[in-house]
Amino acid sequence: MRRSSLKPGTATNKKASMSEAMLMPHVFFGVACIMAALWVFVDALNASASNAARIRLVSRAAAAFMWVAFLAGGYWYVVFYPADKALILKGPLPMAHAYFMETKEHLVITLLMLVTYLPVAASNNLAANKDARRLVLWVSGIIPLLGLMIEGHGAIIAMGVKLALLAKQV
Amino acid sequence: MENNNLSKYTVSFGLALAIGSVANALLVVAKEKSRAIQSGMQKLTGSHWITHVVLVLILFFGIGFLFQNLKSASCIAMPANRLVRIILGGIVTGGAVIIGYYLLAD
Repeated sequence: MRRSSLKPGTATNKKASMSEAMLMPHVFFGVACIMAALWVFVDALNASASNAARIRLVSRAAAAFMWVAFLAGGYWYVVFYPADKALILKGPLPMAHAYFMETKEHLVITLLMLVTYLPVAASNNLAANKDARRLVLWVSGIIPLLGLMIEGHGAIIAMGVKLALLAKQV
Repeated sequence: MENNNLSKYTVSFGLALAIGSVANALLVVAKEKSRAIQSGMQKLTGSHWITHVVLVLILFFGIGFLFQNLKSASCIAMPANRLVRIILGGIVTGGAVIIGYYLLAD
């Protein structure tokens, strides 16, 4: 699909708009999940009775954001990505699919389980239990690292599509 | 007063997370190496990736609730340091297998 050939109101244009509309919540909630996990990490460093409820609330929010990002991204991957995949594989950066998308689509499952586990770990009394606090610090610390890595993969996949479209126009 | 016991849910779902991460990676290798497995997964839900996600999540929640329902809490009780090592080990192993496979073997 050549973006330059898109005409307002056409079926192709509507499909492209729908694709972008599904990608925006995927990225937005993915970043929100990373921010929430970072918040939990910082709050857990200073865990006390006064911030215990907030830690639990934000850890649940991180899990909710991740599930929304995952469902939006999963829907986009199954419905819209095959067209982009075909483009990428014919373009100058096939690795954007062969390595980056393949890795991303499977590492994200680990991230989903990790973020789902965060509220479980945060349900302990972190103010009184330093072992539980250490566990929450590890879990909430890995989430932004893995999340940023996966966000970076997404950027390279988008670059693969862009390069493929540019190569078609030349 | 310090109370360093982790809840049953924390330990059981921590173990489920580690096992799920490794199983996720093994399923990647299995479906990429065997066309029969991949097409079987494709037939189940219409997309091999959806089947992959469903299987791993069933394993994660299944193991988590199974361990949580063990009658003897001492079966899965462990210090936080060991649980952190198990979780990190599972995630790093699973991640390394996935990255290594697509980087080198595929």
